[in-house]
Amino acid sequence: MGCLDYQLNRRAVLQASMASILGFSMRDLIAFGGTDHAPTAEHVIFFWNGGGMSHIDTWDPKPGRPTGGEFDAIDTSVEGVKISQIFPETAKVMHHCALVRSIAGTNGDHGRGTYQLQTSYQQTANLLHPGFGSIVTHEKKQLGDLPAYVTISGRAPKAAYLGQKCEAYFIGAPGEKDPYLSFPEGIASARGNQRLEVLEKFNGRFAEKSSNKELKSTQTSIDEALTLMRSPALAAFELDKVPTSQLNRYGDTPFGRGCLTAKQLVETGVRFVQVNRGGFDTHMNNFPAMEAHGEIMDPAISSLITDLAESGMLKKTLIVMLSEFGRTPKINKDAGRDHWANVFTCFMAGGGIKGGTVIGTSDEDGYEPKDNPVKVSNLHATFCHALGIDPDKKVMTPLQRPFKLVEDGTPIKELFA
Amino acid sequence: MKRWPSLIAAACLSLGITGLSALDAKPPVAQKKVEKAPVDPKAEAAFREQAKKIAGGTELDKVLALENKERGIKLEPMPVIDDLTFLRRIYCDLISRIPTADEVASFEADSSKNKRTELIDRLIENGRFVDRWTVFYADMFRLRAQADGGGAALAWVHQAVSEGMPHDEICRRLITTNGKAGAAPEVAFVLGDNADPMALAGVTSQVFMGVRISCAQCHDHPFDVWTQENFYGFAAYFGKTKRIENQFTRTIYANESDQSVILWPPEGKVKPEERKPMKPAFPFEMASVSETPEYISRLNALRSKQKAERDAQAKAGSKEDDVDDLLADASENEQKAKGKKLEDAITKEAKKDAKSLNIKAGMYTTSEWRQELANLVTSPRNRFFAKNMANRVWADLVGRGIVDPIDDFSDNNPPSHPKLLDYLADEFVASGFDLRSLVRLIVSSEVYQRSHVYGAEEQLQTELEKSFLATPMRRMLSETLYDSIVTAGHLSDVKHVAGKNMKTTWRLTQVVKPNSGKQGLALTAMKLEQKMAMNAPAMTKDDELAPGVDVEKGIELDFGKVLAKAKEDNKVEVEEMRVMSKEEIEAERMRAQMQTQRRGVEYIDRYAKATFDDNPRFGSSLRMASPAVPEHFLRVFGQTDREILGETRDHAPNMRQALMMLNGTLTHEASRVGELETMYSVLAEKKDLDAAVRLAYREILTREPSTNEVTEAKSIINANKDLLNGMADFRWILLNCNEFRFLP
Repeated sequence: MGCLDYQLNRRAVLQASMASILGFSMRDLIAFGGTDHAPTAEHVIFFWNGGGMSHIDTWDPKPGRPTGGEFDAIDTSVEGVKISQIFPETAKVMHHCALVRSIAGTNGDHGRGTYQLQTSYQQTANLLHPGFGSIVTHEKKQLGDLPAYVTISGRAPKAAYLGQKCEAYFIGAPGEKDPYLSFPEGIASARGNQRLEVLEKFNGRFAEKSSNKELKSTQTSIDEALTLMRSPALAAFELDKVPTSQLNRYGDTPFGRGCLTAKQLVETGVRFVQVNRGGFDTHMNNFPAMEAHGEIMDPAISSLITDLAESGMLKKTLIVMLSEFGRTPKINKDAGRDHWANVFTCFMAGGGIKGGTVIGTSDEDGYEPKDNPVKVSNLHATFCHALGIDPDKKVMTPLQRPFKLVEDGTPIKELFA
Repeated sequence: MKRWPSLIAAACLSLGITGLSALDAKPPVAQKKVEKAPVDPKAEAAFREQAKKIAGGTELDKVLALENKERGIKLEPMPVIDDLTFLRRIYCDLISRIPTADEVASFEADSSKNKRTELIDRLIENGRFVDRWTVFYADMFRLRAQADGGGAALAWVHQAVSEGMPHDEICRRLITTNGKAGAAPEVAFVLGDNADPMALAGVTSQVFMGVRISCAQCHDHPFDVWTQENFYGFAAYFGKTKRIENQFTRTIYANESDQSVILWPPEGKVKPEERKPMKPAFPFEMASVSETPEYISRLNALRSKQKAERDAQAKAGSKEDDVDDLLADASENEQKAKGKKLEDAITKEAKKDAKSLNIKAGMYTTSEWRQELANLVTSPRNRFFAKNMANRVWADLVGRGIVDPIDDFSDNNPPSHPKLLDYLADEFVASGFDLRSLVRLIVSSEVYQRSHVYGAEEQLQTELEKSFLATPMRRMLSETLYDSIVTAGHLSDVKHVAGKNMKTTWRLTQVVKPNSGKQGLALTAMKLEQKMAMNAPAMTKDDELAPGVDVEKGIELDFGKVLAKAKEDNKVEVEEMRVMSKEEIEAERMRAQMQTQRRGVEYIDRYAKATFDDNPRFGSSLRMASPAVPEHFLRVFGQTDREILGETRDHAPNMRQALMMLNGTLTHEASRVGELETMYSVLAEKKDLDAAVRLAYREILTREPSTNEVTEAKSIINANKDLLNGMADFRWILLNCNEFRFLP
């Protein structure tokens, strides 16, 4: 496969040049490696909307239909593309964005749906597949001091057979500092550094006695920890210096701060940032809940896209927003919507995708895919394609079972210029 | 401690699960069997006889020495370790923590010639031995406290280890039991894989027999003898097993249906109507029933003796739970339940529950297929079964499996020392599948007590370790590391004078201003929130880091209570690890809710108080609800989530571990010197720095320092103006160094 060949080339180039370029401005270097598979994205911001976000009330409105609900459809910066009124600001940056309105999901259960949408695989007993963030971490080199994969406000899927190195580094809340990145309370930095110096001496002496490899890698892990603890790049986790006006643009909410943190992290080299948000399981009172979600999400998402576009980062940052499924077109007796996996929408922006593209449609009431149904694994293959990752690359489990990075997916080529 | 068979044997008999019935279970006539070269009992006996003539060591050492000789190994073994090294190693392996300074002193003072074996016996009887080997079993069986009935299952295994329930009996129960999650703790095994026959087939063969058959689920095994038909025949034993969820009570059961779901040929290979229910067939070779090897004779003799003891006990009038009494209780429950909603469902359940307490085998359909399977799996004639356990325990204690990796018994991965493995398996069977005997057999040997290789070339080191002439260096289990820091730092009890370190912190949070906005609207929002919280998917709970969970704390579970409660109301609520004050948690919850609330509601800033005496105590990590949350110390140091089949603990260092050790509360608090410690009086009152350094070495590294090390330590301590702070620095270094976390 061309993709695989390319992948090998690219990695070989990277390894050869890593030492001298320290991970940055590598796009120029690798440009020659790709033919039609050149990566269009180097970073991912992955918004996970837990609970199952209504597709009709967000990206796939059905105005005037019995299933349409309470919200109007509004025009966007892309002619002919309308989205829900709860996203007025995002509508203005739609020319940077793309929608896949015909995901044909198969799991109406939270657990199984989440598993599939985050890993591309169906959940099976006693085996675990890695999440997309771990795949990116496995395939793309870490840039700079910060971990390649960070999750904000919640956990990310596990790395499974890709190994501990591909697990997400998590922060509890945006702007909050990881308490493990500084010496314990009451230990001043001179004293802490003194301790570390002596510790290295002790460990060095102990390691001399034995050829056990793990003794040496303990020191490596300490060195890595110190690099991170002392890195100026850590400022990317902090929001203290962000002006109030900027905070307000994103809407001074935890989600807004999460988006700001995500922006700072990708700008500092982090490969994959996952931002979790819950509360989309709107079995009751769907409309006030979605309106509230819109008020929080709209300023944050639109400001993020605008800012990344201005700084030029959007070109190489793929933004994806997904949920485990959509919600029933039929509005239930509690003015809510229930689980609906048959069709729902994926929102994307940046990362080399063709702005303003809409892939597929759902039927007039939002029940089933009408044109161009898209398998979940095709979505994942598309993300991989943007990053220059071969979705068919095989990885071995500890039991020597080979698995493709993505379960039989084909990229949606129409999304790319 | 009450021991098997006195306590639960009777109950076991009443369940119709008898160890004896399994003894000579014959494999059913089945399809093509996998043939292996039969072991020649005469050659085996001759080998053992010859081994006895070798000088030195235990019988195990002699078997190994002869086998190494036959393998042409000419290397000299590494010496047996000295007393203090042995002391540290055996404490960590048997009871999962380092010895205290007092324990060091008393072992040094012990002048008995057999002090090592005596110590081994004492530690095997120690309560922490039960805790530590419960962890071993929990890893092996993939028990998860968070799963349906998982807490009860952990508690049940703990009880089984405590009572000395034989390994075959434990496994038999796990394979056969049907019933309600929690109330019948053993069903956690079947429910853990959602009672999926295909998954259970893979698990049963790999966990109990060390054979990876899962690949054959989709195709004939590429590198091994197993065919897809073998796999389907094996899975068919679970074909009728199903997981049931009661829609009223949300309780989960495992039970049997009439129809098997395992059809042959596999889906897609033929027309659906041509697929027929698969007949269960056991594909593993069993030792021939025409001969009775010595280990089986010994087992039979032991079990007859145990049975005689049980009979005598029964005659002596120990009254068992009467089934009629139980049914009477059940009908009383039924009366109470009348008049309530969902009457039918509840009374039926109550009846079932009451009955299930003691006669669960009668209440839930007994799985005849799984009983047959269990008898075959656990039969003493199934060599895979005994060898698997012997090899797993060996690998845990010696650091390398005789079959390595431990769950890959295969022609392509033969044992390095087949005769040694046979010997261990024979002894294990003959001991009545007794875990304690197996552990004792291994740790009493010189093999276990050999030194690591120091200063040799890597190739020689590997050769010595592969031949079991030296022990490989092993890192402590995460639980052992945690508990050893707690022990070394005197953290299991308070060490500072009470109230001396009181600290109050204030956290700014926002709460809803009462009566703000349109009241109705606020109320709607609140209701909506509540409803949304109720509807929150199961995943969300796991996705979000719950406020107040301390990733370095271990709150111990009372297994007895867990088990009793499970039996009582069938619901185990694992206490959460909270370190925040109640109001703080409430404020946190409100703040989280606020995010989706409507306009018109105003918020006010409020400071929530969290007061704590900075005089922390840390419990034992062995009894925590496990697996811990992913961010927890235990998980960071290798405890798995026990989800994936075949996942073993990763002992490789990583950055997160380094951050936790360098900057964590646990090491920090362990380093600080408390006024109630001996160290305080030595340092602050007697001002004897030499003695203090020696004490630190004994408490933390279980050894005496060299003269140079004392000098060095004193200069480290003296670099600080305050001696206590200096000692804290020094102890922090010792706790963080590799010598601490690797077993000597």
